[in-house]
Amino acid sequence: MRLESILDLGKKKVAAATDELGFALAGVKDPAAYSAANFSASYGATQDVKFAKGTTTLAFKFDGGVIVSVDSRSTMGNYIASQTVKKVIEINPFLLGTMAGGAADCSFWERNLGTQCRMYELRNKKRVSVAAASKMLANTMYRYRGRGLSMGTMICGWDASGPKLYYVDDDGTRLEGDVFCVGSGSTYAYGVIDSHLRRDLTVDEAVDLGRRAIAGAAHRDAMSGGWNNLYHVTEDGWRFLGQSGR
Amino acid sequence: METTTSGFSFDLCARNARLEGKAPAAMKTGTTICGVVYKDGVVLGADTRATGGSEVADKNCAKIHYLAPNIYCCGAGTAADTEKTTELIASQLDLLRLSTSTQSRVVAAVTLLKRMLFKYQGHISAALVLGGVDCKGPHLYQIYPHGSTSKLPYVTMGSGSLAAMSVFETGYRDGMAEAEAVALVKDAIFGGIFNDLGSGSNCDITIIRQGGVPEVRRGYETPNETAPLRAAYARPASLRPPVGATPVLSTLVDVFDAPQPLAL
Amino acid sequence: MSILEHNGAAIIAMAGKNCVAIGADTRFGLRMQTVATDFEKVFKMSNNVFVGLAGLATDVQTLRNLLKFRLSLYALREERDMKPEAFAALLSHLLYEKRFGPYFIEPLVAGLKDGDQPFLCGMDLIGAPVYTNDFVVSGTCTPNMNGMCESLWRPDMTPDDLFEAVSQCLLASVDRDAMSGWGAVVHVITPDGVTSKRLKGRMD
Repeated sequence: MRLESILDLGKKKVAAATDELGFALAGVKDPAAYSAANFSASYGATQDVKFAKGTTTLAFKFDGGVIVSVDSRSTMGNYIASQTVKKVIEINPFLLGTMAGGAADCSFWERNLGTQCRMYELRNKKRVSVAAASKMLANTMYRYRGRGLSMGTMICGWDASGPKLYYVDDDGTRLEGDVFCVGSGSTYAYGVIDSHLRRDLTVDEAVDLGRRAIAGAAHRDAMSGGWNNLYHVTEDGWRFLGQSGR
Repeated sequence: METTTSGFSFDLCARNARLEGKAPAAMKTGTTICGVVYKDGVVLGADTRATGGSEVADKNCAKIHYLAPNIYCCGAGTAADTEKTTELIASQLDLLRLSTSTQSRVVAAVTLLKRMLFKYQGHISAALVLGGVDCKGPHLYQIYPHGSTSKLPYVTMGSGSLAAMSVFETGYRDGMAEAEAVALVKDAIFGGIFNDLGSGSNCDITIIRQGGVPEVRRGYETPNETAPLRAAYARPASLRPPVGATPVLSTLVDVFDAPQPLAL
Repeated sequence: MSILEHNGAAIIAMAGKNCVAIGADTRFGLRMQTVATDFEKVFKMSNNVFVGLAGLATDVQTLRNLLKFRLSLYALREERDMKPEAFAALLSHLLYEKRFGPYFIEPLVAGLKDGDQPFLCGMDLIGAPVYTNDFVVSGTCTPNMNGMCESLWRPDMTPDDLFEAVSQCLLASVDRDAMSGWGAVVHVITPDGVTSKRLKGRMD
């Protein structure tokens, strides 16, 4: 599939290149540098386009499964664009993705991951493993490396090998781990989690820890806040434990 | 601490150079100001909007500044600069009058201003329209931030100067009567108010007559009055927060002439 | 990001009938990190003059000390309190003196002149005064505050109504600004005395 549109820029004709997925690139000399300078989620001195961003998201494994806890604030510069953002993306009944960085980049590519996972299921007649799913996303990110995408996500789920937690970001990093906090408020959240996390926490204790970490980050970090959305992942898939606030 | 020095202080410049990424913007008067010479004197006009970035910082500011009993001056550019520069020159003219016991000459005011602005090489961003009447008749000058001046029968300045000048170019005649001149200046300012985004609100006019007392008509015309609009509709009850609506953590009442503040 | 937005602030001053109110948030932050939630930005200069200083925290404190010092000298020389008009002029000159190396402060002055008449004045960082008879705002969310004040302000409010109006304008504004909030203080100034209240607000 190759779409080629021609942009008439004065006398010079510049082709707006498209890659194999049909993702249109800017019709400028160096699309990668152009995207990185103008559309990255970190605000440069000359950047006019300000993205919705700023976040605290965390996920940790314990004996009872995986807890996923996130805030709901979206800021554009100093302005609080929304206090009711859903930062946990339900990829399928056994997979969750979290959202940090560019809101549009996360939701688009995690939705894209959802379709890839479904295709996998249809082709192979079995559920995709968390490892495979996270690898698909990491591969996508690697393909667009340096183009200014902004995404810091945790892919959480339960598969044949048990509870699984991966960190994937825009430069293609993919890490497996027991605890991750991502976003502008992540350091504050790590502070709370690291002081209280044990493998043998009860589910109630773990949920409480997830809530407290987000509350602490929301207090200290200006770009985090709003409400706390909390998910618990078990053998039977994920379960939404509700929203709490203030 | 020294409190009696005069002139600018550059104490914080070195510190600020370290702190500043981009220098914060000072308030501007994105402005329409103008003036005409007519049969018996000079008419000055100005809009009344002051802006900070894209925000309206002041909806009714005075841009026609007093310099001497027979000289007034409209200012465009950085608000603080036009305000303080005209204030400074006004006091210098006052001292000059005290020592010479004569009426201030318009050229004297222009010379003081252009010397100061030239000295600061355009860093004091004041674009002025100066008008006055003295023993040599009515005079109207425009002064640019770098200190250049021109003496003209009709002038406009500020971001709305093009809109205002288009009105002058169609309507100006030599030797107009006062009423005609005032109407023309008002139309020119309206040109700025309605067609330039940096200008707005009301039209101020000052008339300086030969051998008369200057007439300062602040709010000569107010085409953008909001009070009647506000009064025209019933305010929704939700816009009147009832007493006790705001959650209060603590209260401290300081009754004047009471021995101790009272904590409730 | 501007140095004026380094620490974060939101200040509103509003006029009522024979009273004025001035309110500010209490956050002290370093860019996006909230460091303290009890930072004072509004200062009582005399019984009938309050000043709100929004901007760089170091300059808030420097300017507060400088103003207190100049006011004390004035009181010693003149044996009376300074009128709000004179205070605003003093502050304006202090700021313009540093025209080419300014304090990073956009102040508000709120007070009662001639005993019971509201006096409000705002300034930019080099001292260009803005005199109003309804409300003035300063800080990191001026669009929010101006919008709220345009909606909630009405002429001739009583001190109680004025308190509610200022408080609601302030709380609603800082809830949409990342740099300010974390509590607030509102002072209502009347000819008889000053009522200061700490408000409960969102702490995120």
